[in-house]
Amino acid sequence: MTELAADVVLQVEDLRTHFELGRRVAKSVDGVSFSVRRGETVAVVGESGSGKSVTSLSIMRLLAPPGRIIGGRILYRRRDGSMVDIAELPEKAMRAVRGREIAMIFQEPMTSLNPLFTVGDQISEMILLHEPVGRAAARARAKRMLELVEIPAAERRLDDYPHQMSGGMRQRVMIALALACTPSLLIADEPTTALDVTIQAQILDLLRRLQAQIGMSILFVTHNLGVVAEIAHEVVVMYAGRVVEQAPVTRLFERQKHPYTRGLLACIPDASRDRGAAGERLRLNPIPGNVPNVTALPAGCSFAARCPYVVDVCTKDPGPPLVAAEVAHLSRCWRHEAL
Amino acid sequence: MTVVTHPESDVRARQGGTLLSVEHLCKQFPAKSGLVKAVDDVSFTIRRGTIVGLVGESGSGKTTVGRCLLRLIEPSGGRAVFDGVDLFALSERQMRTCRRRLQIVFQDPYSSLNPRLRVEDIISEALDTHGLARGAARRERIAELLTRVGLNPEHARRYPHEFSGGQRQRIGIARALAVEPEFIVADEPVSALDVSVQAQILNLIQDLQQAHGLTMLFIAHDLSVVECLCDEVVVMYLGRVMERGPSRRVYANPRHPYTRALLSTSPVPDPRARRERVVLRGDIPSPLDPPSGCVFRTRCPHAIGACAQVVPPAEAVGPDHVVACIRQAELAA
Repeated sequence: MTELAADVVLQVEDLRTHFELGRRVAKSVDGVSFSVRRGETVAVVGESGSGKSVTSLSIMRLLAPPGRIIGGRILYRRRDGSMVDIAELPEKAMRAVRGREIAMIFQEPMTSLNPLFTVGDQISEMILLHEPVGRAAARARAKRMLELVEIPAAERRLDDYPHQMSGGMRQRVMIALALACTPSLLIADEPTTALDVTIQAQILDLLRRLQAQIGMSILFVTHNLGVVAEIAHEVVVMYAGRVVEQAPVTRLFERQKHPYTRGLLACIPDASRDRGAAGERLRLNPIPGNVPNVTALPAGCSFAARCPYVVDVCTKDPGPPLVAAEVAHLSRCWRHEAL
Repeated sequence: MTVVTHPESDVRARQGGTLLSVEHLCKQFPAKSGLVKAVDDVSFTIRRGTIVGLVGESGSGKTTVGRCLLRLIEPSGGRAVFDGVDLFALSERQMRTCRRRLQIVFQDPYSSLNPRLRVEDIISEALDTHGLARGAARRERIAELLTRVGLNPEHARRYPHEFSGGQRQRIGIARALAVEPEFIVADEPVSALDVSVQAQILNLIQDLQQAHGLTMLFIAHDLSVVECLCDEVVVMYLGRVMERGPSRRVYANPRHPYTRALLSTSPVPDPRARRERVVLRGDIPSPLDPPSGCVFRTRCPHAIGACAQVVPPAEAVGPDHVVACIRQAELAA
């Protein structure tokens, strides 16, 4: 197995996750590569059908059939320094990694928490499952976890059921649960999408603070470029199962090297840019058309049909490769130089 | 001779007088332990041809306001004077006739379209109810509506599941437009859509609004959308209006601590933007047991003892700009 660079925690290489649906195949993730370094937050951005969530579920090995990893590697550096390929890890070995070393939080905390158990029991169970401690010690640790995520009156809240808490509180409990075994990688799949903006700001602050405190890496999956700007160090933009652009956050927002990223940013209403003189209404520049269906992708570049920069070569196979448009800035576009 | 006028007065001139005046709207829902005040003493006006944005977080009562105005749920108190008529005083039957002039577009384009009806029947349901078109005229009207919202008239025979989210929202808009309404409540019409599709629908809403001189109440939680689209904005929190005014003014100079917090925590797609963020502590309190006095005081960074004593009155701080905060004057200084 090749070596990982010293500070890399996770390296996804040419990952292919497909769903066989009768005679059709949904190539939800089709040749995705990126890596996450220690203490770094990598954001995977995309719209529905981009494959961002399937990528994170592949890393957690939580794919529901007929979803299957059919190719590529997911190299992960374990806490003891050894390296494993998650794509090939036997389920039993995966169980020691999942939840303990790589934890995940989801968009809707209500569906990820068990409604029949108190939050204290759920956090304790996680600790008891992975670590050689007794019930009392696990409960004490559960209380410390609730304090860590700033839930007031933690001792009393341990005995609450999920339905007794607000959406923001439940997401805090999910984070406490995820961090109970001090994972080295946290996968956060749209963790603030269901929350109000004032609560979203609290959760983003909390994640940033905990990351500094614990030193974990975060893979942050979202569709919201505003949230990306606030939390990410590195950004991976996905479209129709592929990475179309990747760059450090400031660079990506300064200069987009893929028409899709550029279009996505132009769609977000910005009053200072889109609203003209007094009384003029805003005029947005939408990307025409719809996100393509991953069971029936066109030849060539998947974005060609919606792209304002399209030329003949774009609609022919093979599609454009992901190349370095600049140092540390990747683009999957034949015309990245024209951008 | 050139007459120099204030840029905002131009806008006023183009827009007409008041079309809808909401006065002291209240809505209570029965709960196990008493009444929940979902909407409490909400007042605002909408001038003909303008778009008013109604913003707030979950539990603010914004959706309830929209539904009360169309009497999809019955208000508990107050008035809604639409073109001189109090909608809340109308009988069920009178209201049904009146609904031809008021329509709604819902948030979720998946659950708001009947999956068993063809697009043509979804769109023409209101036409049929109001007996507006039949036979060839009906078909023609459906085709025209589909074209107007950017769909292919040949799609009339299809079912909702054959369309994407954005296309379904176009169908929802065509349905609302079918009866040529004067006023539309748009309840988070783009929240469920992908970002790239949201922009298409927002442009469509604007085009239609301008082409038909529509008046709209645009309910949203996304502040940047409201800033760009709306002439005026009403900010709600826990059933009450915190601040309202011309959107340019409110966004440039928010006067209520809640509006300030909301604007400062709304994420902007610019990693270099180093803003002074007001991150509010805690959660929205339960509407079953709202705080006394100002409902925002439990999360307000500027709350003082007096805030628990009185419900802050709406004070005018500029033309059409109203703030409900007893400390607004000293905080502005």
